[in-house]
Amino acid sequence: MAVDLDRCTGCEACVTACHAENNIPTVGDTQAARGRALHWMRVERYWEGEFPDVRLKFRPVMCQQCDAAPCEPVCPTYAAHHTDEGLNAQVYNRCIGTRYCANACPYNVRFFNFFNPSWDKPLHLQLNPDVSVREVGVMEKCTFCVQRIKAAEVQAKAEDRSLKDGELKPACAQACPATALVFGDLNDPESEVSRLSRSPRGTKLLDDQGTQPKVTYLQRQSSE
Amino acid sequence: MDRREFLKASAITGASATLAGCGHPEHQLIRFIPEEELVPGVATWKPSICPLCPAGCGLLVRVMEGDAEVVRNGQIGLIKMGLAKKLEGNPAHPISQGKLCVRGQAAIQITYHPDRLRHPLKRTGPRGAGAFQEVTWDQAIDELASKVGALAEANNQGALAFWMRPSRGQRRELVAQFLHRFGAPPPFSFELFGEDVLRRANALSFGREQLPTFDLARTRYVISFGADFLGTWNSPVSQNIGYGLMRQGRPGQRAKLVQLEPRMSQTGANADEWLPIRPGTEGVLALGLAHVILNGRMRSADAAGRAGTLVDGWMNGLPDFTLPHVETLTGIAAARVERIARELAESAPAVAIIGGAPLAQTNGLFHALAVNALNALVGSVETPGGVFFTPIPNASSKPDAAGERERRRQSAAPTLDKLAAGILSAERPPIQILLLDEANPVFAAPPAWRVKDALQKIPFIASFGNFLDETSILADLILPDHSFLESWVDDVPEAGTTMAVASVAPPVMKALHQTRAMPDVLLDVARRLPRLNPPLPWQTFEQMLRASFEALPARAAPQTTPGVQPAVDVWSKAQEQGGWWAETPAGTRPPPNVATRDPGRPVSFVAARFDGETNEYPFHFLPYASQAFLDGSLAHLPWLQELPDVVTTAMWSSWAEINPKTAERLQIAQGNVVEIASRHGSLRAPVLLSPGIAPDVIAMPVGQGHEHYTRYATGRGANPISLLAPIVEEETGALAWAATRVRVSRVVGADLQLILFAGALRERPHEHEGR
Ligand code: SF4
Ligand code: SF4
Ligand code: SF4
Repeated sequence: MAVDLDRCTGCEACVTACHAENNIPTVGDTQAARGRALHWMRVERYWEGEFPDVRLKFRPVMCQQCDAAPCEPVCPTYAAHHTDEGLNAQVYNRCIGTRYCANACPYNVRFFNFFNPSWDKPLHLQLNPDVSVREVGVMEKCTFCVQRIKAAEVQAKAEDRSLKDGELKPACAQACPATALVFGDLNDPESEVSRLSRSPRGTKLLDDQGTQPKVTYLQRQSSE
Repeated sequence: MDRREFLKASAITGASATLAGCGHPEHQLIRFIPEEELVPGVATWKPSICPLCPAGCGLLVRVMEGDAEVVRNGQIGLIKMGLAKKLEGNPAHPISQGKLCVRGQAAIQITYHPDRLRHPLKRTGPRGAGAFQEVTWDQAIDELASKVGALAEANNQGALAFWMRPSRGQRRELVAQFLHRFGAPPPFSFELFGEDVLRRANALSFGREQLPTFDLARTRYVISFGADFLGTWNSPVSQNIGYGLMRQGRPGQRAKLVQLEPRMSQTGANADEWLPIRPGTEGVLALGLAHVILNGRMRSADAAGRAGTLVDGWMNGLPDFTLPHVETLTGIAAARVERIARELAESAPAVAIIGGAPLAQTNGLFHALAVNALNALVGSVETPGGVFFTPIPNASSKPDAAGERERRRQSAAPTLDKLAAGILSAERPPIQILLLDEANPVFAAPPAWRVKDALQKIPFIASFGNFLDETSILADLILPDHSFLESWVDDVPEAGTTMAVASVAPPVMKALHQTRAMPDVLLDVARRLPRLNPPLPWQTFEQMLRASFEALPARAAPQTTPGVQPAVDVWSKAQEQGGWWAETPAGTRPPPNVATRDPGRPVSFVAARFDGETNEYPFHFLPYASQAFLDGSLAHLPWLQELPDVVTTAMWSSWAEINPKTAERLQIAQGNVVEIASRHGSLRAPVLLSPGIAPDVIAMPVGQGHEHYTRYATGRGANPISLLAPIVEEETGALAWAATRVRVSRVVGADLQLILFAGALRERPHEHEGR
């Protein structure tokens, strides 16, 4: 994934799209006030300077899909693990809720289910049948919409072809009106995401932590 | 079955469906699949239209089979039916181009909302108490028809009123035709963030009584006067798409954005240069820029044509708008104004945008006309990279165009304050029957207009809305509409594209509850009225839509979606792809849609008036359209309640934004509760210190503070509209919602909580800082 901060407007379409796609529950005001709201995708904002010379910068943050993911080795049950495709996956059935992984992740993108999720009926009819609902005691986080990746792979296989670049998008990238979020195959040097990742504007979040994140942030430019 | 097996199983069904020869099941547009053809686990995509704001984005809805609990004839049962699962933008639609905004993504929660009205209701208790009993559709329609019929018997047809949200499609046309034939005034709309001032200005300057469209993708310079065009204003999705392109869509060419506003909006955050201008002086700055351009001989005065002649002193180089004078009035340094003027003149194509608070001052029309003249001066009207006006297709259904008549009458239509005052002062209210379609003026109007008191005096009120809100709770009879996903929907976008567009879509799913589509209920009522002359020619709303789309030229038959059999006629094509749209042939301008009226004498700057003396009420009060709820009509959706506002990260609550220096002076800290008071009301809210707000401004998002609006919004936070003075824009009579002044004082011991996503347990922003 590449995130072009010069395109991102902070519109947060990605945030709600992620809720809709991934069956992320809302927790309500009391729990939200305790820091228990779940947002696999969030838009961080940073103030710089003082009035009137202030700047406000946005940064969409989701799981960075680290190649050297600190969340993985600390998990006693291998719930947090690396897949063959290089995704950092979370097997909900294995998770016993130690929350070590959440402590280990420097990006604060792992969310714990402090209680069973609930949807006031009939809001539950919206739930996506392709994504399992997580129960109390389980850690969850952005999966790069693995269900969409799988569906596109199956489709391509059925048509006896390989996936086209840009054919498959996680819900956030699908929604993003400014095309700030670009998803694709980093192993293919010709893909759009590879091209963007080589941009001189490219940076990684908390690069010095040695996590080798797979998400590249392209810095916002300035006209001054 | 564990997750892996489940994935495998659905993969197999997916694959076999594909082999069955339908190409791309994930993205197919099929008109109305009989439910039995839904394959479990396989998604179908159907077009629809986002109903949440006037932008009218085209949707694709993911539909899958599921089990829904429904009540039929008093029995609860479980039925298998197609259920909407997710909304995405329709890639073929000229406005949304495959994208949606944050609110559009959440629109699906309307259909599945637990507090939707599920069947017709008749009031039992006192008005406003919320006590209703269930009645059958026959009873409800009989009652409505007999009440309306009685008006006709009494020869008092003019006492029927229909208040609805503004819209431009056949839905409104049907209401207009019904009212016209009955002999009642046209439908009426009142919106807090209505756009009458800008429409009037565009009619005067350009002969186009509509909102503008900006070609951001091709522009090189944007100067925006208060318009939150990336967040909540006008056509946010198409504007965000254009913004992405103007920044990084052309290698080596990045357009600049300058934003002028006293409180940094989401759009302001994206600006290269953000300038906190003094409220009510935006047009002065625009003319200051024009002054520099004219006197530097960078453009000639007549380049602005008609838009220029509307501004006093234009042909003489705007002698009243010298740089020192502009600096004194606006608070923006003269050197800066001069530099921006040069950049603007040298960066063609450049475009100026005005929207939001500047238009909601007592001198709002002046600001809009000034910005229009600036656009005309730099040559950006109807040219690439500039401002355009969406051509409006002539989809008006035969046999007569009530719409056109309505539009003419509308320009003389009374404003909400006058309507309310008329009802309150009359012994016998001029409105005897009020029909409401989702309009919520009780929430959206300043208290001094006494809209609620006025409604209490109306003998009979019926509401079609999906939810009980501050206005519909006053209804005597409720005939709940289908949700947009359960109905035929249509729309004619006013802005956001240079193509002529008429959107339409059939129902995406069956109705979950015992609701009925408002247009069909209205047609049913019409059939029972003997005196409707001439009677409406359609049996159903679908017939009316069909007639109007069949009247559209087929030459513009849209390109077909890959994998779909080419449809035979305009109507089928429109249903299949979610609308009809046509490119305007290059070089042609749509004709003016209003006669260019003689404006009388040119406008000149008159200082904005504010309600409240400066010494007693030292702060400007700025209510703004919130990212989550716009004008408050979306506060009932839980995803939007739990959305961290992007500028403040606040959720589930109200807050008041104050400059940190001001707060220090008043000895107020973040999270402290303050009382904000105007001459017309007061409220309490926790304080949020914001570096991006002028020291003499207090800002609050509109949306919370509902007295009645479902379990998620009722009793939550405070409504900033309750502070607003009944002060209007002087030329148009539109509410000047940014012209109230307030005072602020700390309240000790109040426990109103600021719920923030950042800075709570989870985020530690300092760790990310400076990278
Ligand atoms: S961002 Fe956090 S959760 Fe994601 S892979 Fe890296 S350490 Fe693990
Ligand atoms: S949808 Fe795109 S532009 Fe909007 S906040 Fe997310 S990344 Fe930024
Ligand atoms: S801008 Fe957002 S709310 Fe408005 S119509 Fe488009 S998707 Fe819906």
